[in-house]
Amino acid sequence: MTESESAPRGAEYLPGSADTWMPPGDEPAIPAELRPPHTGTIRQRAAAWRRRHLLREQRAQDTYTRSRNPERGLPVASSSAVWAFLKTLLGNRKPILVGLLVLHSLAAVAGLLVPRILRELVDTAAAGNTVLSTLNALALAVAGVVVVQALLTFAARWISAVFGQDLLAAAREYVVHTVLRLPLGSVEGASTGDLVTRVTRDVGTMSESVRWGLPQAVVALVTVVLTLGAMALNSPLLSLPLLLSIPALAIAVTRYLKRAPAGYITEGSTYSDINSTLTETVEGARTVEAFGLGGRRRELGDADIDVSAQAERYTMSLRNLLFSVIDFAYSSPLVWTLLLGGVGYANGWVSLGQITAAILYIQAIVTPLDQLVANVDRLQVGVASTTRLLGIAEVPQDREPGEETPDGVKLTAEDLRFAYREGHDVLHGVDVDLVPGERLAIVGPSGSGKSTLGRLLAGINRPRTGSVMVGGVELIDLELDVLRTEVALVTQEHHVFVGTIRDNIVLAREDSPDAAVIKALQAVDAWDWVKRLPEGLGTVVGSGKVKLTPAQAQQIALARLVVADPHTLVLDEATSLIDPRTARHLEGSMSVLLEGRAVVAIAHRLHTAHDADRIAVVIDGRIAELGSHDELVDAGGAYADLWRAWTS
Amino acid sequence: MHDFPPEVPEYPTRQAGATTTGQLGVASDRVTRELPDTRSPSRFLIWLLRRQAYAMVGMFLTGILVYLPGAAGPYFVGRAVDEGIVAGSWDALLTWALILLGVIALAASVGVLMHTYAVHGWVNALYRTTKLVTRKTTQMGHVLPQRIPTGEILSVSSSDSDKYGALSEVMGRAMAALFAYLVVVGLVLSTSVPLGLITLVAAPVLVFVAAPLLRPLHRRQAVERSRAAELTSLATDIVAGLRILRGIGGERTFGANYATQSQLVRHAGVSAGIWQAAVEAVGTLFSGLFLVTLTWFGTRLVAQDELTVGQLISFFGYAVFMVVPIYTFFELVQKWVQSLVSARKTITLLEQEPPWEEPVAPAPLPSDAPIHDEATGFTARPGVLTVVVSAVPDDTAALADRLGRYLVSAAEPVSTELEEGVKGKRARQTRAEREAARRTQAEKDRENARRRWGVTVGGVDLSQASLAEVRERILVSDTASMVFGGTLQQALDPHGRLTRAQAEQAMYVASADDVFEALPNGWQGHLDERGRGLSGGQRQRLVLARAVAADPDIAVLVEPTSAVDAHTEARIAERLSAHRRGRTTVIASVSPLLLHHADQVAFLSDGRLAAEGTHEELLAASAEYRRVVVRSMEENPLDDDPPPLPPPSLDGPDAPEGTTASAGSDAPGERHDDPAEPAGTPASVPTHSHPGALGPHTEEARHD
Repeated sequence: MTESESAPRGAEYLPGSADTWMPPGDEPAIPAELRPPHTGTIRQRAAAWRRRHLLREQRAQDTYTRSRNPERGLPVASSSAVWAFLKTLLGNRKPILVGLLVLHSLAAVAGLLVPRILRELVDTAAAGNTVLSTLNALALAVAGVVVVQALLTFAARWISAVFGQDLLAAAREYVVHTVLRLPLGSVEGASTGDLVTRVTRDVGTMSESVRWGLPQAVVALVTVVLTLGAMALNSPLLSLPLLLSIPALAIAVTRYLKRAPAGYITEGSTYSDINSTLTETVEGARTVEAFGLGGRRRELGDADIDVSAQAERYTMSLRNLLFSVIDFAYSSPLVWTLLLGGVGYANGWVSLGQITAAILYIQAIVTPLDQLVANVDRLQVGVASTTRLLGIAEVPQDREPGEETPDGVKLTAEDLRFAYREGHDVLHGVDVDLVPGERLAIVGPSGSGKSTLGRLLAGINRPRTGSVMVGGVELIDLELDVLRTEVALVTQEHHVFVGTIRDNIVLAREDSPDAAVIKALQAVDAWDWVKRLPEGLGTVVGSGKVKLTPAQAQQIALARLVVADPHTLVLDEATSLIDPRTARHLEGSMSVLLEGRAVVAIAHRLHTAHDADRIAVVIDGRIAELGSHDELVDAGGAYADLWRAWTS
Repeated sequence: MHDFPPEVPEYPTRQAGATTTGQLGVASDRVTRELPDTRSPSRFLIWLLRRQAYAMVGMFLTGILVYLPGAAGPYFVGRAVDEGIVAGSWDALLTWALILLGVIALAASVGVLMHTYAVHGWVNALYRTTKLVTRKTTQMGHVLPQRIPTGEILSVSSSDSDKYGALSEVMGRAMAALFAYLVVVGLVLSTSVPLGLITLVAAPVLVFVAAPLLRPLHRRQAVERSRAAELTSLATDIVAGLRILRGIGGERTFGANYATQSQLVRHAGVSAGIWQAAVEAVGTLFSGLFLVTLTWFGTRLVAQDELTVGQLISFFGYAVFMVVPIYTFFELVQKWVQSLVSARKTITLLEQEPPWEEPVAPAPLPSDAPIHDEATGFTARPGVLTVVVSAVPDDTAALADRLGRYLVSAAEPVSTELEEGVKGKRARQTRAEREAARRTQAEKDRENARRRWGVTVGGVDLSQASLAEVRERILVSDTASMVFGGTLQQALDPHGRLTRAQAEQAMYVASADDVFEALPNGWQGHLDERGRGLSGGQRQRLVLARAVAADPDIAVLVEPTSAVDAHTEARIAERLSAHRRGRTTVIASVSPLLLHHADQVAFLSDGRLAAEGTHEELLAASAEYRRVVVRSMEENPLDDDPPPLPPPSLDGPDAPEGTTASAGSDAPGERHDDPAEPAGTPASVPTHSHPGALGPHTEEARHD
């Protein structure tokens, strides 16, 4: 007893504890250098601002780099993969793409005709001795062009919507398709938080880009180019100022676009940090209260906001640097055009009408230029999200199914070794010979390797050495569809999918007839309530739909296994604990399921072991004891000790 | 210049005797001003905007200069054409061109300031709202999630706050746009009354002519949004159940379901797109026709020498610019209306008040005294480890809540959001009903909080002591306890009070060394949000270690080892009883391994204390006790004695990490913080020992 009163001293307990324990006290959320000074000359303050800006830029780059190379979680694809993906999608939609571009060009051209006709009007009016009927005719012509432009705009936008929605649907369905093909080993092993973020937030960002960013950027580009052309046609001389301001514009925009994605991705991630901290505070309100953590949660929330404010400041500065240049670059050509126009008019090179048209074109080009910048921005963020989505497809498959089908139902495992990290085997040569129909309980302390053994026996992971054979065939080399009808790992089975009752049950054999579904429901005593549902098997259940009680959800889960009908079940108690309130109702259903199957039960509770035919005690990756309950109790080993503690 | 983020004070605590009608008992004027006005949605918005008036005034002043090239520029251009180009005067041309250049340069540089003010206003509104939500949550504690669904609390911070930011921005811009509009009005009317009138009338007409089209467009966009939200939840659902889909099968079925919904979204999107196209086409048509009218009329005037060419060119410029202020006003109205909707939800949250009232003269809780619960008749002797056993798990959970002075309500939190399609009278009625329900709940809480509590420590009722002291002295660690993200050291020692030896000791007692070893950086190893990534068993042991480390006078542990295997549980039972020796400890459990180490066992039957004694004595004396404790032995291997209470799912499939505000805002509402209340949804059931369907049993497996 004395030994257990305190942690053992010495090098053994919690290796690395001394090195990593830090004196209390938090680091400030943001380094002091990011706080602006309150004294100093303007020059010093400007220099300090510049240093802060560069530091923020560095922080944004770091965050961006981290988000590109996640330490954990799924891979991220390269940008070139995005272009390849986009090319494939566009390749299948060439006709509509061409139609789209043609319509948008025509609409833009129609828009550009208007100032051109106004030019004639002004010239006619300015010429004096004007005939009113000429003015009327020209005005009517403009009206006609405007109507055509409106119609073309309508058609072009319509087709854009059709095209964009189609592209988007194809892209997101592809993503979900890849999610559904993720290798079994990685699905069972990894946290799915990353995956949820990808199918929600990243799909959302991609949608924004595809639906708005892509079409608008293309349209804006077309319009800008055509407007420049129209200006040149109107008067090459008067188009010079705008053309000359383009390099300045291009430099500012390129500088901006080079930095903006990191800035916005960082900004976005600071908002998710704010949200996660607040989520914990709200959902853990009681824990916060119990431990008196209110002050600390407020500090943490404020610190998140401080970090976020820095990210906001950075993108604000980026935009300010951009806007100050482009605002000037957009508007100043007006002045140069006026001056050039004065020279040209005096020399008889240009008419008043041409000057008018040039001014109108300069005003007209601002909107598409703005949109071009804004949407390239949006596209960049969309590409970043898409790389994360395409990364899902880059998880290597963990098995290449062979052709063989098992002959018989006997499951044997030999010399199993397995490591999650190279060089750290958690199993050291385990043999299991499962008698068809027997119940084998595996017990052992946490960390002993018993859950890993369960995963190998269920064909989830491939052992590093040794093999798990069923009916003479390597388990891991079976087609998934076949594997599922041989061995099933019963874990977190209570998830009820959004879908019909039928959808929720036929999983393993998707073409099962209704009769088979009903039979499975009857086997688990669920048919009585299912048939009373408004639409029977067709009733849509799951989150946000018809709610099932915990017991009903359990029955659904069991019925799935009845349909799958595997000859061997691996039950992991760590993850398949059944709600005690429903347990009693399910005793019958459960025994129907277990009957006639071999069961490997990874047991937390000793009576599970007690009821088994054989018990394997796994300690440190080896089977330390094997035998029936009575044999092991008689043997007086570790199991016997535990049993005495349990029952005394 | 002011700065962001804003400073937001903490909510003050209420003293007994303070007025109940006023917002606060004791609070200085300054604090009162910094606390939100929750009397009505519009008052709240005005309060919020006034907190950052500097940003809007700044936008207004700078905006005047920024809008100058657009508003007055055409005038300078016209003069340059008339007096410079047409008249052939270089001096005039240069003068007007220089003025124009100056105005443009000024606008470009002042634009930086205006944008800076805009960002200030926006993020200050946003950050202030988030800080208020955090402060309200920490003030209210465990009572808040029982009043308002957690998802809705979060969406005040994540989505409503953004609306206020947008409102602040458009407000500043609209003030400047109003000024610019008046400038243009003056200019056009002084040039030509008929053309001026056309220009002034046309711009509003242009904006409002599109309005009838906006209604069907918005309706279709709403359909698209709701279908898209459903699509997102389907995707989340697939990910949540992915282990089943890959383990048991069903990829084709659910892939096809997703594709079907995706196509529905697509159709809704196309149908909204058509209306969008119509809106834009109509906009093009009308602004084009406006230009035609202006030109036609103007050229006639020019031909009749009533207008110069330069003035005509100016009118083209005014015509282009006028749309800007009109559209801004339109936007302001829209944003105000949207913000009012958000503000209604926000004030519902912010007007909640804690039910507690500090006693005027709080009595100190005696130390080394027994803690007694009158409802059950249960008493825990000081310095003794007592295990409470009950046939009905809810009874022990309720006992723990009472011992810790937690108000637990059986009612569902009342939603602040209305279902789709409820409007008009029905909406008002529903809102009033919910308002009333929430008020009743608050009233009930207040009553229960202020009357005699029925749990005494050494004869002092908990209601006579200050709540802070109760929390300090009595720690209830239940199965729903949250593991917070951050370093392992912070998770174990959130207040930074421990020595390393104490921390190691706590980990040792909870047998949580594998948590330490699983993290790459030891104490500085990073735990994910809500401890996701740990197995249920690891998380439970970390929660236990944290409770042990807190070293309270009275520790109440509810099912501390329900997700732990028998070997480890045996170890914990031994170490825990040794470690807590001499301290008061109450454990709710039916596990023989724990009972074996209890100094005293209390058996509850029908909510009353039925028997007391040691485990052996009770086994011998009470058949009913025997049945409860060893019943699992006689049962099916699968339904052994798992924890009597299904802890609410920490992150059920409904509340995935990283859901967007639109998709996930209502999701966490499914969670139940109330351990005495059934975890009613199928989605929240399964996660006993488990991080939830989203954080699979990864690590029991990974590090086994």
